[in-house]
Amino acid sequence: MSVSLECKKVKRTGFLSAFLGGGILAAAFPVVNMVVRSEQYLNLPDTPIQILFGANWQIMAMLNVLLVVAGTCLLYHTEYADNAMQKMKALPIRESSIFLGKTVLTIFMSLFVLVIEAGAVAFCSYHWFEIGNGFLGELCKYFGYSFLLMLPCIILSLLISEACKNMWISLGIGVVCVFTATMLPTNDFVLSLFPFAMPFQVFAGPDVTQAMHYIYAIIAELVVLCLAQLSFVKIRRAFE
Amino acid sequence: MNFLTLIGIEFKKIRRSKILLILAVAAVILWVPSILNAKMNFGMQAVGISPENNFFIQGFLGMAWFMFPASMVVGTVLLSQTEKANKGILKMLALPISTAKLCMAKFVVLLTLAAIQILMMTGMYYISAAISSRTQDYSFILPTLFVLKEIGLIFLSAIPMIAFFWMLSVCIQTPIFSIGIGLASIVPSVLIINTKVWFAYPMSYPFFVITSEYGKLATNLDTAQVELIPWIPVAIVITIIALGISCLRFGQAERR
Repeated sequence: MSVSLECKKVKRTGFLSAFLGGGILAAAFPVVNMVVRSEQYLNLPDTPIQILFGANWQIMAMLNVLLVVAGTCLLYHTEYADNAMQKMKALPIRESSIFLGKTVLTIFMSLFVLVIEAGAVAFCSYHWFEIGNGFLGELCKYFGYSFLLMLPCIILSLLISEACKNMWISLGIGVVCVFTATMLPTNDFVLSLFPFAMPFQVFAGPDVTQAMHYIYAIIAELVVLCLAQLSFVKIRRAFE
Repeated sequence: MNFLTLIGIEFKKIRRSKILLILAVAAVILWVPSILNAKMNFGMQAVGISPENNFFIQGFLGMAWFMFPASMVVGTVLLSQTEKANKGILKMLALPISTAKLCMAKFVVLLTLAAIQILMMTGMYYISAAISSRTQDYSFILPTLFVLKEIGLIFLSAIPMIAFFWMLSVCIQTPIFSIGIGLASIVPSVLIINTKVWFAYPMSYPFFVITSEYGKLATNLDTAQVELIPWIPVAIVITIIALGISCLRFGQAERR
C-alpha cells in the first residue's frame, strides 16, 4: 500500500524524470568517452567491461550518488514542505512504513538507472570491442555488485533527509558526505566502508574474497542503519 | 527601500539557517587529509613543486573541483526554499519593491556566502599549515599576499558560475531539477578543463584557474594557461545573461 502511495506522491515532483535524465547522462559518459578517445582503450589487455569500468566508473558512480542524494532530499522535502508530514503522522500507519515505502521506491529507481548504464556499457562493448563468451554473466555480476554497494548509501541519505526538516540542510549534509567520499582512498578497506564511498568500488574480477568482504559489510551496515531509523523515529516522537 | 537595506533583510532571513555550520564542516573535512598526509608533499620532485606550494594547491584543488560549486548549489536551495516554505515570497512580492532589486539582493547574499566559504577555507588552510609545520618540522605557511591573490582569483572566477546556478534556481520551479542540473553540471568540469572550449562552461572556471596556477608553480608540469581574450568577454556575457534572465523571471511563477 505505502509504496504505491509514494509513487503517487512523486508523480508531479519530477522525481521519475530526474532519475531517467540522470541515468541517461551517466550512461552517455562511457559512450562519449569512447567516441572521443577510443584509441586509448582499445589495446588494453583486460576484458571490455574491466576497461570501461576502469575508465568511467568513478564519474558514473559520482553521478549515481548525487542523484540518490538529490532524490532522497526531494522525497522528504515534499512531506515537510507544506506540513504533509503532520497529516501522515496522524494516520494509523507507522512512520517507519513511510520510510520503507520511500526506500523501496528509491531502490527501484536506482536499479532502473543501473540498467540504463548497463545498456550503455553493453553497447560500448559491442561497438568498440568484441563480445566474448560469458559477457552477459560478467555484466550482471558487475552491475549487481554495484547495485548492492549503493544500498547503504540510499538508506543513509534517506535517513539524513528524514532527520532534517529543511531541504538545504539535508542536501548540504549529503553534499559534504559525497565530498568526503571522494577524498577517501578507494584501496583502504576500512575507510571505503563509509556508505557514501562504497558505490565508487568496482567488482574485482575473478577473485571474489574481496567482494564477499564488502557484501558482509553491506549487510552489517544495512542492519545498523535500519535499527538507527527505528530508534530515531521513536526518540523523535518522545521529544516532539 | 534602498539596496543595502534589502541585502540586510535577506541576511536576517538566513540567520538561523545553519548554512555557515555546513560550510564550516566542509572546510574542516577538506583539510583533515592534508594534515594526515603532510609527509607526501615532500615526494613531489617529479612535478617540480615545493612542498608548501603543493600543500596549498592540493587543498584548493579539492575545494574548487567539487565542494565549492556544490555548496553554492546548496546556497541557492537555501535562498529559494526559505521564501517558499511559508509563502514568504508572496509577501515580499506584495511590497512596493522592484523584483529585480530583490533578485539582485539575494544574489549578493549568495556571493557573500561564497566569499565566507573561501575565507573559511583559507582560515582552515592557515590552521592546518601551522599544524603540519609543527608535525613535519618544515614551514608550510605561505606569504599572506600570495594566498590572498589566489583566493581572490578563485572568487572572481566563480562569479559566472554562481550567476548560472542562481538562474537555474530562479527559472526552474521544481527543486529536484534545479539541484540535479546544478550538481550534474559540476561533474564533467574535470573533463571540460582539458578541452579548448573550457571558457564556454562557467562551472569549470574556478577549477581551471586553480589548475593553471598549479601549472605555474610546478616547473615540470604543463597545464593549460588562462587566455584572457576569449575568456573575460565570454564570462562577462554569461554573467550578464544569467543575471538578466533571473531578474526577469524572478517571481513570475508566483504572479501567474
